[in-house]
Amino acid sequence: MSIREILESYDKITIDQEIVDGIFIFSLFGKQYLYIAPLEDNPSAMAVIFLYNDDGSDIPHIMLKEETFPGVDCIPQGKYRPVCLYEQESIVGAIMPYDAKVRDAIERLIELLSMNEIEKEREFQKEFMFYWNGNSDSHNTHNVYLDQNDSFSEFDVYYGNKSVRLVKRGIQLSDIDDRDKKGRIWTHHVENNAYYIPITDKRGILPPYRGHNWTTQTIKDIVYSEQIEHIDQHTFQVLKNTFPNTQNIIIVFGMELEKIHISFAVKIKCKNIRNHSLLEKIVDDTIDIEQLFTIRKDYYYLCEQIGNDCGLLGKNVLLIGGGSLGSYIAFELVKNGASNLKIYDGDNLEDVNVLRWAYGGIGKGSNKAIALTTMLKSIHPEINIVGINKNINQDSLLIELSFADMIVITVGSSNEQLNINRILVEAGCSIPVIYIWLEEGGINSHILFADYRHAGCFECLYTDIDGNLVNNRARKNTLSISETSIIRNGCGGTRASYGTAVLLRTTSVLLDTIHKFYDGQITQNVLIDISPNCVKISDTPFPMRECNCCGNKKDQSMY
Amino acid sequence: MKLKKEFFEFFSDIRIDTEANALREKREILVNDIKSKMPQILKDHDINITQSDIRTIDQGSYKYNTTIKSDVVDRDVAVIVSMCTDDMGDPRKFKSYLRDSIDIPSRTVSIKEPCVRASYHDHGIENLHIDLPLYAQIGSDFYLSRGKTNSSNYSWEDADPDGLNKYLCGKINGNDQLRRIICFIKKWRDEKYANANNDHEIPPSIGLTILACKLFSPQSDNEGDADLLALQKTMKAILNEFIVSKTITGEIMSAEISCPLPVRPYTDTFKKMKNSSDSYMIKFYNSLSRAVADLTDAINVESPHDAGVYVQKVLGNDFPIPQKEASYASTRNYREHSFG
Ligand SMILES: [Zn+2]
Repeated sequence: MSIREILESYDKITIDQEIVDGIFIFSLFGKQYLYIAPLEDNPSAMAVIFLYNDDGSDIPHIMLKEETFPGVDCIPQGKYRPVCLYEQESIVGAIMPYDAKVRDAIERLIELLSMNEIEKEREFQKEFMFYWNGNSDSHNTHNVYLDQNDSFSEFDVYYGNKSVRLVKRGIQLSDIDDRDKKGRIWTHHVENNAYYIPITDKRGILPPYRGHNWTTQTIKDIVYSEQIEHIDQHTFQVLKNTFPNTQNIIIVFGMELEKIHISFAVKIKCKNIRNHSLLEKIVDDTIDIEQLFTIRKDYYYLCEQIGNDCGLLGKNVLLIGGGSLGSYIAFELVKNGASNLKIYDGDNLEDVNVLRWAYGGIGKGSNKAIALTTMLKSIHPEINIVGINKNINQDSLLIELSFADMIVITVGSSNEQLNINRILVEAGCSIPVIYIWLEEGGINSHILFADYRHAGCFECLYTDIDGNLVNNRARKNTLSISETSIIRNGCGGTRASYGTAVLLRTTSVLLDTIHKFYDGQITQNVLIDISPNCVKISDTPFPMRECNCCGNKKDQSMY
Repeated sequence: MKLKKEFFEFFSDIRIDTEANALREKREILVNDIKSKMPQILKDHDINITQSDIRTIDQGSYKYNTTIKSDVVDRDVAVIVSMCTDDMGDPRKFKSYLRDSIDIPSRTVSIKEPCVRASYHDHGIENLHIDLPLYAQIGSDFYLSRGKTNSSNYSWEDADPDGLNKYLCGKINGNDQLRRIICFIKKWRDEKYANANNDHEIPPSIGLTILACKLFSPQSDNEGDADLLALQKTMKAILNEFIVSKTITGEIMSAEISCPLPVRPYTDTFKKMKNSSDSYMIKFYNSLSRAVADLTDAINVESPHDAGVYVQKVLGNDFPIPQKEASYASTRNYREHSFG
């Protein structure tokens, strides 16, 4: 079938003009469209459709920008607006037969034009932020920092060079006091009170689009509607009980769209009437509004956007050991929701370590914990890292125990691991503790998950069935491998040989283990063996009843 | 059964499940005005009533949680005044005392046959009214004040407002499918009567609600509630309640349906409609037959898309129509499933 024949097979379509091969102007539902068929010799090409000489303001997914085709003589003069037919990369054009591509675009266009009011509303809402920021009146970007989506909050307002930060009270941004040559980068402004108002029922709330900008009435209808309760009763009460002390106010509205939370800010200019509640200001005093270009930037939101599970969010994690493994793990913990991290390590970063240190050459010569702190903070201003440039000891561990929600131990020395294990068992530690270590040679590694309220501890791995202390039973390397995997530097010092593959592999299993724990899938203490071929629950007997530290033997010794 | 997702979606689009903040506030202010001002107005007319003799109860769709979106919000709040028989007097006057207690510029107050209405306007257009049926309570008996201000037709009508609430809440609460079916039937009514000129032309919500409660046919299959089938069966059962007389050629001469209140005074909820014009009943019957036929077609056609088109004829353009299967299936095979 030719492209013309395919188009003609739709009785709603009338071809007005065939410009050149594969390019048509046709009429559909009273409007004209330019149809450019996909190129036949490019397998991933898809058809493109433009709305011709019409602002299309009542149709969703019509781009705001107008295109002309000045260089292409054969295309009639006029204004063309692209129709977004495909979500970004939603269709694999390369595997679609040519006829199907030609048809698919037409059918998507017909579907778009046949939507009822509610469907149109949904489509407009899907692209809410696109329309909002496209129609904003402000020169400044308003960056929003929240730590939740569901309740009324107040913001502190900071002005920077080209952007404004709206920071929920209580959120600490580590760079807020930073300075450059001109002085402070962010200055706290108090001329506008700013508030966050969550919208719980979004029916009927459309973004501003051409010819339909928001007005004072739009805002009023959101907070003070007689039919649809857009904001819940609790928020409404708070609006009645909140008394702004500035004439104009900034409101950030929050709204959930298909599991994505959006926020958009608006400045409300009010009559100067004292002692009016926030509700009265919005309903009675509003003179004018200004739609503000808004971007949500907080850590919580960024985690939500990439689908991080929220188990680690807001948790305080204590990381013992910031060496090779520790550096990879610290980086990933922070990217997976653990924004509060404390790191203990007494070592300095030397040249010989940098090839297996997560940050490469940055921070050479300085303490590992401190170097990590500097680097991790640069990821996001809400990330709160404390680096301690010493190894943890009994006193500091006991103090940390009362702040931490989880302990991750990446020190490789059995002595240190056993020592920490003893201290934690004796302290009655009730938070999850995860031991991670590598074997020399870079093949095998292990994770021990221990919640000391259940049976089993790290010392169990060093205990045989008679209750005697032996070397780590979890070890998979044979003696000969271990001999060839030790690199001696000639001064009595030794170094285990391994590359970064084992670090990446072990780190990813740790993330899965943490996810499983917060998901409730880990209900007992468990030893995991990791190798290039497989990750599995270890066949090493664990826990040991005969363990001197956690097992029966300890109980017996009490008599 | 087809269209489960679509019925579910449609229900969440049309329903109002909470009293919105502004409405609640206006109602509370109104009720406060009644309680604070009415006793003095009554006293001026030698009726001794204290604030504690006046109580209000919710009625109508907000009480049964069967409210749907509409152009004008309609809220019903019964005003019940405890008194002795001697105080009752002329029900029209009593209603005027209620009117006087709430008549301030922020609302327009008018006296209707069964109630006093407080209307609210936004930019000159009515967007909300709160109807206040006024009851006299004598001991455990209730009497509804009926009659317009200057009508010769007025009375204190024997009534049971609490009993009606109890009956309807008993039927609807805990029966979510029935609740949805009532909303759908009301939505159908709103669609068919969008251009009605006369209030009495429109089948009243209370009549439709009681009929739906009585004739409701619950339907489900192993994938959950089958609202399309339940709606078709319930509307068909309502249709069967009509007594229709036809000419030999099959032309409808008259159609009649009755639905008495399930409590005192057991009056027919369609009485006003019937008394206003024979044609109203015939139109009601015809629209309902059309709806049942369309829903039956929706059940019988194979494709969900075509079924959706039929349901749209009944419930209006906002009902979502599923995509045509052919285009859906073909596109689905080319969906992107990887990312980098
Ligand atoms: Zn043990």
